[in-house]
Parts: sequence; C-alpha cells; structure tokens
Amino acid sequence: MIPRQGIVQIFSTFIQFDFDRFSNWATAPRLRRSMTKCLNETAPKETSENFWAIYWHKRWQKKPQGIAREHLLAYLQEVCFWSTQKTIMGFTSTQYTIPDGFQIAIAGIDKVLKGFDGDRGYNLKSYASITFSNLIRELLRQRQEIDICSEWSLLRKLSQKRLQESLQNAGLSAEVSEKYVLAWNCFKNIYVPERSSATRRLAKPSPEAWIAIANLYNKERRGQLSQPGEAVKPEILEKWLLICVKAARSYLYPNVTSINQPKPGYDSGEIADSLVGEIEDSLLSEMIVEEEVQQRNQQQSQINEILISALAKLKPDEQKLLELYYAQKLKQGDIAKKLSTQQYTISRKLSRARKSLLKSLSLWTKDTLHIYLTSDVLKAMSAVIEEWLESHYHSNPQ
Amino acid sequence: MTIVFDPTQLIIQLPEALQQQAWSKSKNAATPNSRWQSYLNQLTLDAFIPCGREEQEATVKPWLNDQALANIWELVNGTAIMLGDAKVVLIPSEAEDLEELRLPQEWVDIPEWVADYYLAVQVNVDAGFLRVWGYTTHQKVKTTATYNSTDRTYTLDHNDLITDLNAFWIARELCPEEVTKVAVSPITPISPTQANNLIQRLGDREILLPRLAIPFTIWAALLQNDAWRNGLVEGRQGITRVSVLNWLQEEAANLVTEFGWRQVEFQPSTVGAKGDTATAIPHTALAKQLTIAGQPYELKILPLEADIWRFELRNLALGAMIPSGFTLRLLTEDGQSFEGNEDIATIPVEMLYIEVELEAGEGLIWEIEPNPEDYQAEVLRF
Repeated sequence: MIPRQGIVQIFSTFIQFDFDRFSNWATAPRLRRSMTKCLNETAPKETSENFWAIYWHKRWQKKPQGIAREHLLAYLQEVCFWSTQKTIMGFTSTQYTIPDGFQIAIAGIDKVLKGFDGDRGYNLKSYASITFSNLIRELLRQRQEIDICSEWSLLRKLSQKRLQESLQNAGLSAEVSEKYVLAWNCFKNIYVPERSSATRRLAKPSPEAWIAIANLYNKERRGQLSQPGEAVKPEILEKWLLICVKAARSYLYPNVTSINQPKPGYDSGEIADSLVGEIEDSLLSEMIVEEEVQQRNQQQSQINEILISALAKLKPDEQKLLELYYAQKLKQGDIAKKLSTQQYTISRKLSRARKSLLKSLSLWTKDTLHIYLTSDVLKAMSAVIEEWLESHYHSNPQ
Repeated sequence: MTIVFDPTQLIIQLPEALQQQAWSKSKNAATPNSRWQSYLNQLTLDAFIPCGREEQEATVKPWLNDQALANIWELVNGTAIMLGDAKVVLIPSEAEDLEELRLPQEWVDIPEWVADYYLAVQVNVDAGFLRVWGYTTHQKVKTTATYNSTDRTYTLDHNDLITDLNAFWIARELCPEEVTKVAVSPITPISPTQANNLIQRLGDREILLPRLAIPFTIWAALLQNDAWRNGLVEGRQGITRVSVLNWLQEEAANLVTEFGWRQVEFQPSTVGAKGDTATAIPHTALAKQLTIAGQPYELKILPLEADIWRFELRNLALGAMIPSGFTLRLLTEDGQSFEGNEDIATIPVEMLYIEVELEAGEGLIWEIEPNPEDYQAEVLRF
C-alpha cells in the first residue's frame, strides 16, 4: 500500500481494492475541498494528523451526521486495512479476504467514534486499531458458529435487531419485515431444543410444530402487527422463515463491491459545496490555543506514567500475557497453547490484568483529577486503556 | 473451532455437569419454551454466582430463593442477584450477534423488581460458555433505551452499553454510591377477585405468551404480589390448590411434595375448643417444617371451631425457644394487614400464635420474620 501524503489526502481519500488487494486511493472531492478549507483556517498550517483527528472527533460528537464522520472514515482507512490484515492472518481459513474483513471493520466506525474518549484519549488510530480487530474477530467467530448451524438452529441464534437489519438489508419493506419478525418470534417460542446441549443441528420442525407456530402467529398478529394482515398457513411461515435464514446469512457475508462507493449524486452540485463551509471556528480556535494543547499533553504524559507503573506492578506472567495479546496479536487459543493452559484461564487472566490497570487509572482520576467516578467515566477510562495498551506495545515491541 | 474472546468481556465456562444440573432443575416448567428459558437462566445463575464471589468482596446471592426465581422464569426472562446492596439483573440470550440487550419491561417498571444494573449475557450451550458482554444502569435504560410495545421490552444497542465488565466491578468497588436508578411510578393494585380471575385464565398453559395477554399495568400488579405470582405459576404447571379444609379432610397426595404441608393429629381440648362443636371439626391440623436462621421450626394451622383458625409457630429444636424479634404475620391475599394479624416475640417465647375468624373462600398469606429458607408466599384458601 502506498502511504498517503499530507493532511488533505489523509482526510479525504478512500482505499480502492483490486480483487483482494489494495489498488489505489480514491479522492472524495467534497472532502478534499472541506479539508483544504479547514487547513487554511489555521496559521501556521496545522499539520499534525492527530490534531485534526481530535478536531473532527470533537465535531463529530457535536454533529454525528455531519461531514466530520466522513473525514474520520477517510482518516481511519489505513489503520482499518492493517488491523484487518493482521487479524485475518490469525485465522487459518482462507475464505476470509482482506476486502471482506475491511468492510466488516469499517462498518463499525461508529463504535470506534462512540467509544473513543476525545478528552482523555490521545490516539484515535490506536483505539480504532484495537476496536477494528475486535470487531473482525467477533464477526469471524459468529460466522464460524453460524456456518455449522442448521437453518433452524441459526434462527434461534439471532437477535431481533440483527434479524431486522438483515431483512432490511435484503430489501424487504418495513411492513413485510414486521410480519417475518413476528413469525420468527412464534417459531422461537414453539420450536425449542429438547435437550441441554447439541443444539446446532436442529432438524426442521415437525408438521405439528408448524401448525402450532401458525396458530400462535394467527393469534398474535392482531396485537403485535400494525396491520394484522391475513391468517397465514404453516407452509407460508416456513417460506418466510427460510427467507429470514437467507437474509441473515447474506448479512454475515455481504457483497464486497459496495465498499466506499459514494451514494449517487452525493458528491456533485452546488448544495454539497455550500455545506462544506461550516467550519466550527470556535472549536478550531479553542483547540489551537496553546494552553489547551499543553494541558492535554501534560495529562497524557501523566496517564502514560500511571499506566507504565501500573503495568510494572503486574505479575510477570500477567505482563507476558498482555504482551502476547496486544503486541504479538496472538489469539487466546494460541497463547493458551504456548503457555499450555486452558483458553478460559487465559481469557480470565488477561481480564484480571486489564482490571488492575483500569483500577489504577480510575483511582488516579478520582484522587488527582478529582473527577467523580461513574460507570460512564469508567467506560471512558477503559477505552483509554485499550488505546494505551495498543500504542504502548506497538511503539515498544519487546 | 477457535473461540476468540475480547478480554473486556467476562467469559465463564459451562462444564457439562453444570449444564446437566441446570437442565434437571428446570424440568418442572410448564411449556417447552419456559423450560428452555428456565434452563438458560438457571445456568446463568449457577455460573455467575461463584464468579461474582471471585471478582469482588461483597456478598453475592440470588435476589430470591431458588423456587421464587424459578417461578419468575416461568413467566419472564432474567435472573436477579444481589451484589452487596446492589441489585443486578442478568438477561441471558442465545443470540450470537451481540447487537442488542432486550430487557423485559417487568425488570424496569415494577418498583420492587427494578435493579441497579442490568447485564447482557450470551449463553452458548454447545460451545459451553457464557459471556457477559455489557452492562447498563436502570437510569440509562429509562433515559436512553427504546421501548418496544409489541413485546414489552426496552432495548439498548451494543454501542450504548458499557462493554468492559471490569468497569462494572470497579464501579461497585470505587463508586458504589453512583446514581443507578430513577423513580418509577407505583403499580396500581388490583382486587383479589380480579387477580383470581386472571390466575384462572392465564393459568392455562395453552396461553403461550401470558405476559403479553393482558395490559402491562394489570400484569405487573398480578406479578408484584408474590403469592399471586406463585399461584399463577402453579396453575400453569398444572398444580391445583384446594381449600385448607379440603386438605384436612381428604388425602391430598400432592400436599407434601408440592406445597410442603402435611396432616398431623392434634388434641382439640388442649387448644380450648368449646363443648360439642369440637366434634364437628376434624382433629387434624396442617403442619409445615421450616428452617429459620439455621434452626428447625414448625408452622401449624389448626381448626378450632367453625370458621376459627389458629396459626402456631414453634421451635422444634429440643428445649429451644423462639428468639425475641421473631414475628408471625398474616396478610389478606392482596397483602394488606388487619387487626390482630401478627404476634411478635418481644422476649424469647415458646410459641407465637394468631387466631383468626375466616369466611369460607377467604384467602390468607402467612409470613415470618426473619424469612424462612425457601419461603414461598402462598395464598391459603379457607
């Protein structure tokens, strides 16, 4: 991959794939205009990409639907690409390609943006990297599970939200989708595993079960559907549920061609241009003020010190684990093999190690910064730690 | 297959033996669906409790006793436990994608059921693991969750949960005073007549979605009365209750196994029955063995004269008294007090007792403080 040059390019271009390899960077003219304009607002020109990442993140927080999200989407292309490559390499199966994984990861951008703590965090890229890896791993794990499930077992392993998204993704109208979701709920109520385990290969429901599902549907449709519609026969329900299965499967294996395709008409015309101008002057000038920059840097170096000393206090085996996981990106299964212990133990120990770091940072926040701790503050701290671990082991490979 | 976990989640292994045990505990459920729901919740409870004890110092115990929790699972998904003084509800789901937490309204809007924290739990019985992948507070649910009227749930997206479970343990440790709850409106009570009609109607297990069959506020009013809730569950499980008088007169096979009561003989003269009327009354009483604060007790119901009944509590340990502070109390079936409805031990006593006059068909709930182990609120019909 050719690295991007200059702030404007970094915040306005998108990866294009040629089959499963990187091809080139495509520019979104609207973003290029917007970024050029912003850059000109700063004198001397602010050329730190981190500065702009934080700036856009702050703007995104104020206006999640605005152009900031797209600038950040552009910005995080590279880190998404590398996270994908690293994570996919850990999976032996060849059915996962980079564009495939890239697409999954980049679709999770809102998770990255929501999770990143713009006030205390200092490196959006590190946070994005770990979050993207987690997303891909989680999705690949889901695929493995779903792939070995029969249609009927798969239906039991969906959340309602996922089913709704899958149906929407498959192009079904809200009205139809509502019926399918009710059918699915009735199916889940009636068709229940009959033993405590081995539920991945559930066979097709019996004719009696189909009748029971249809009865329940026909009863509940009046209360649960906005348009009750007609009574439905078991055969129809079976057909509907198979459509649900298909939609859920293709949601997990989306078509890759749609990556980074701008929506039609999106980038042309005067209107789009005029929207570009809305620079948040106050936000920008606030961020440029030397004092804020200094304060920020100072806090970051304090956090860094706290975490380094907390890390040093961990037991040697805990430190080793963190390193294997964050620096060498080993899967827990591989770590377990390497340390000849159980995967559950590894996962538990890793979690313990992170917990002591989180506790140290939280105590410091409470005692030194005098911040009143709540679950939300702890959530932010946790993101700072993920980010810190990622960048710590990235810059100090041991 | 490789299972890859995010170290911010709490992963608990579900050994085969634990699964077997939970499966067998859930066998009395009324329908296949409620059995499966009970099974997943039982697994969640059995797996999470030891883990909670490892993670932090506060005591970890189920919110209610085993049977009371199992009765809830017959009707509603979710396992409530106490971590010190914080109430936590775990919501198990089979969904592989962790896209949302779907929280039954009962846990959010019934004042007594409201919890401080809600934990999202994925259970995969085949791979044999349980993972707690996010949490939230009641306050957040009430302010940010989407309410779905079709299935009466509150949903929160993955992105809106706190997905680091370590944050949860640390929150309990470092900021236990965090504001977690908002006030919810009290549920207007329903009358005993209405409750009994509903118990009759919804006690039919052919009604597959009882929680959606009547308006929420009425459902909630039925559920928040422990005795009615237990009565409803008994009905759905095919257990029928008859009046106490019937229990005394007939051989009720299920008396011991399902209700914990047994028939005992007693001498009417010793409890002051007057003259001839005593002969019309069966010389049989009902007795229930209880364990309170580790000691064996017996609660007896004795028919004195027509319509007059006596409740007696004694300590069964040899030579032991009932310690001061113990209270024996009777309530009307909708949970109301009435005159002379309790007997309190102000000093250690041999026996606590209450005599009540009841009309045929009237219902009573008994309770004892401190609570007996495995106490089940029940409406006794006279």
